[in-house]
Amino acid sequence: MVPILGRILILMALLAASAGALVGFATGMRPNAAGWKWARRLAYAFAAFMVLANLTMEYALLTHDFSVSYVAHVGSRSVPTWVSIVSLWSSLEGSILFWGLVMGLYIAVATWRNADKHPEYMPYAVGVWLACGAFFSFLLAGPAQPFATVLNPAMDGPGPNPLLQNHYLMVIHPPFLYSGYVGMTIPFGLACAALLVGRLGNDFIRPLRNFLLFSWIFLTCAIVLGGWWAYEVLGWGGYWAWDPVENASFLPWLTATAALHSALLVERKGVLKGWTTILVLATYLLTILGTFMTRSGVFNSVHSFTQSAIGPTILVFLAAALLFSLVLLALRVDSLGTEGHLETGPSRDVMFLVQNLLFVLFTFTVLLGTVFPLIVEAVRGVQMSVGRPYFDRMSVPVGVALLFVMGVGPALPWGRATAQQMRSALLPPLLSAVLLAVVGLLLGVRNAWTLLALLFGGFTAQVTLSEMFLPVRQRMRSHGEGFVEAFRQAQLRGRRRFGAYVTHAGAILAIASIAVSSTMGSSKEVQLKQGETATLGAYSLTFVNAERVAEPHRESVLARVDISKNGRSLGALYPRMNQYENQREPIGTPAVRSSLTEDLYLSIHNIDSDSVGLLVLINPMVSWIWIATAIMALGGLVALVPSMRRMAVTASPPVPTAPVAIEGSR
Amino acid sequence: MTPVAFALASILAIASGGQQIPPGSAPAAGIGAPKGPQLSGPELDKRTDDIGALLRCPVCQGLSVADSPATMARNMKAEVREKLAKGYDQEQILAYFERSYGEFVRLQPPMRGVNWLVWFGPVAALIAGGAVIAWAMRRSPHQPAAAGGRQDALAAPAASDLPSRDSVPTDPKLAAAVRRVRMLAYGWPQGVSPKAGS
Amino acid sequence: MTTAVTSRPEEARRSRVNPKVLAGGLAVALPLLAVLVANLGRDPRSVRSPLIGRPAPAFSLVPVGGGAPVSLEKLSGKPVVINFWATWCVPCFEEHAALTAAARGLPDVQFLGVVYEDEEARTQEFLRQRPSAYPSLIDPEGKAAIAYGVFGVPETFFIDGSGRIVDKYVGPMTRSTIAALVARAKEGAR
Repeated sequence: MVPILGRILILMALLAASAGALVGFATGMRPNAAGWKWARRLAYAFAAFMVLANLTMEYALLTHDFSVSYVAHVGSRSVPTWVSIVSLWSSLEGSILFWGLVMGLYIAVATWRNADKHPEYMPYAVGVWLACGAFFSFLLAGPAQPFATVLNPAMDGPGPNPLLQNHYLMVIHPPFLYSGYVGMTIPFGLACAALLVGRLGNDFIRPLRNFLLFSWIFLTCAIVLGGWWAYEVLGWGGYWAWDPVENASFLPWLTATAALHSALLVERKGVLKGWTTILVLATYLLTILGTFMTRSGVFNSVHSFTQSAIGPTILVFLAAALLFSLVLLALRVDSLGTEGHLETGPSRDVMFLVQNLLFVLFTFTVLLGTVFPLIVEAVRGVQMSVGRPYFDRMSVPVGVALLFVMGVGPALPWGRATAQQMRSALLPPLLSAVLLAVVGLLLGVRNAWTLLALLFGGFTAQVTLSEMFLPVRQRMRSHGEGFVEAFRQAQLRGRRRFGAYVTHAGAILAIASIAVSSTMGSSKEVQLKQGETATLGAYSLTFVNAERVAEPHRESVLARVDISKNGRSLGALYPRMNQYENQREPIGTPAVRSSLTEDLYLSIHNIDSDSVGLLVLINPMVSWIWIATAIMALGGLVALVPSMRRMAVTASPPVPTAPVAIEGSR
Repeated sequence: MTPVAFALASILAIASGGQQIPPGSAPAAGIGAPKGPQLSGPELDKRTDDIGALLRCPVCQGLSVADSPATMARNMKAEVREKLAKGYDQEQILAYFERSYGEFVRLQPPMRGVNWLVWFGPVAALIAGGAVIAWAMRRSPHQPAAAGGRQDALAAPAASDLPSRDSVPTDPKLAAAVRRVRMLAYGWPQGVSPKAGS
Repeated sequence: MTTAVTSRPEEARRSRVNPKVLAGGLAVALPLLAVLVANLGRDPRSVRSPLIGRPAPAFSLVPVGGGAPVSLEKLSGKPVVINFWATWCVPCFEEHAALTAAARGLPDVQFLGVVYEDEEARTQEFLRQRPSAYPSLIDPEGKAAIAYGVFGVPETFFIDGSGRIVDKYVGPMTRSTIAALVARAKEGAR
């Protein structure tokens, strides 16, 4: 019963999406109220069917209905309930079903919010969204069918991959990732609509930017959550290995960030409209490429699923989407037009272009490195690797350059700067730059790139803080308000700007923390007998004993290691080795003691009752990476909340945007 | 940029006959005599880690020999350490593992054959991108709106609808404010445009 | 409701193709798609051995349970089959019988087992319960496995009389597979 219900729901979703796409495009070509109404209804129907299909699958998972093929694949009676729930997205077909859910919800919300706005664009947008929805429904109805009927259902199943049962992050990371990844469909549809209509006005760049920002926030958190997972669960001591699937999530983030900045120039000056649409289209195409990389089994990755017909199907969709985007761009990008101009001399405008270039360069480099082994195999017939050393070497200069531009850009004015303005803008932050670099030197930093990162970081930090509170200072001067009142008033009017600078502050912190944690750590491998002590840095570690813990789905050995720092006891850490029923090799879980300055990281290499082989790492400033990401997300959220003045402007009759855009900022 | 580089790379690959370039040019018997100094102590540990980070653990997913806890990786790391102590240098040690595992085991692509594309591609992209920006900037800054562009009723109106950049209101206080705004927004000294007209 | 609603079909007909965008886009998209298509069906985990056709790395290893070390040089002139295995490896257990039978049936070929990442006591127990027709050698610190580029077990190398590796077989073998590959080794690589 359940498999048939699931299959019907997916077919209905496919029908709704296909019909809706056709209706949407037809209404876009010949606008009419009835067409738009039906397009909306079909969009909501698609969402509803996807939600129901997912609920059906969750029901099957929770009731251990092994007649459903996906449940037979990943379900198990011996796993905790939360694992059963998250099994929905733990494996191939289920994760595509989850993709459909997130996509349905996004399309429904985006359609509902714009139901009576932008009538020329929206039918096209809904058409594009539902066309994408139709593809994923087709994937679910065919190659990736999760609801196939198992004729002789077993009594129990193997459960999801044990690595995915190790940590609660499994609950958060995939939903965040999909909310970010799949969410990029919405700006894609909006950008295609702009191209199809043939113009991109300020009224339409706003929803485009808002949905892009909303998805960006989730994607930023998801990427770092993935890093945190690797750090806390995998046990090799690092948080980013440039694995193809990690790169798959990073590539659209880079182009989305570039698009967010470029969209600002579209709004302010009416320039770079074509370039922004190119970036938004590229972001979506990179998400499809990313999903191909993850699911095709062609790439050598820790996340890879086994090969199936899904890979070629996604590749066909990628090719079709690429061709569609290219033809659309080639035909329509010129008609978007340009309303203003960019300054040519030293100015914030030029810095925006440099920053965009750096992001696109970063995207190109990571994409090239990830795909390169495939290129070499096709051309030379030789299997080779492009691994962490390459990516680290390439990304460090780009990251440091971005840090530099993040400081110089906001410091410079929008128009062509005079020499005097440049001096007054660029010289004062040098103080913080030198200060931070000196602090680094005193604390033992010797790596040239890290010192450079600290130098630029200090510079950029001062510029960012100064710009963040510039409207506040101006209000205090011109209106005579106190700090708190001025802050409140500035928030009401310029929240977006403030949020952007908060995000920049988070980014500076993230880059500086990554630089320090990558170069200033120390490590040691020790073999300890019971009662033996080892030291690393200021820490002393004593192996006390090994304890066996049996759980329904795994058997673990915990090593109790007592920690003390500078003679003061800090309690005990319990790294563990887990043996899952159907895995040959045991899988370790590290124990991490985090503080604001550094992490003490213990990972077991081998263990028996009287001795343990430990990998001990001291990783400085890692906690700041997680904090910095939270700050970046917070800044994004602040920027999303519309400020009072903006809402007042859209309510009143059209006014020229040039004065409005000046918002009391430089 | 990419198309040129790829075309060149393809030509190079075809020209070299697509032959299997032998890993390293080591003599058939081995990797030759040790070329570097014999290491020991903390220097040996550090160099072992450095070279371990350049070798791919064959039984893991993308981890380096330095990071991986697998037995094979630990054995390989011990082999690296032993060779370093005997005085072999980095290239020789990498070549030793490449003899048995192939180019696959090197995490950083060595410079041979098509591999130069992955090292110089980003540099070429940077130069090309910079050139594009420089060329775009060299065009007249006062580019009129493209012929095919239409104005959205709610978007910024055509330049001719806005007041000229040099006009100021009659009210002196307002005029001063407008000049100050122009100074802040456009960078014009005293708020007066450096050119006549706009 | 905006008033600027012009008829779209005319606009579409007036649009020209921007050649730079089209060319640039195709230059990026087509090679990318080509590379992805060319690699479909590729198994990234199976790595071809570079040792095929090259001299087999030398070794001198002690058999399980002690005894004189067996070295590869002393076996030159005879074809050699080296099988890397372990007691924890289920497919190795499956091919054990085939290998033993093949070794008995081909006295002019030297079969050798090399134990991979295992304990000597367990190996001795295994061989006591399932006797083999050829010696299995202990590989301390996995040096031989590294020299032969072993990714896992079972992996079997076929070496001809002049000491050159003719074939590498990954996975459990049947008698017919062994016979076929031994025949190729006897022919020798030219």
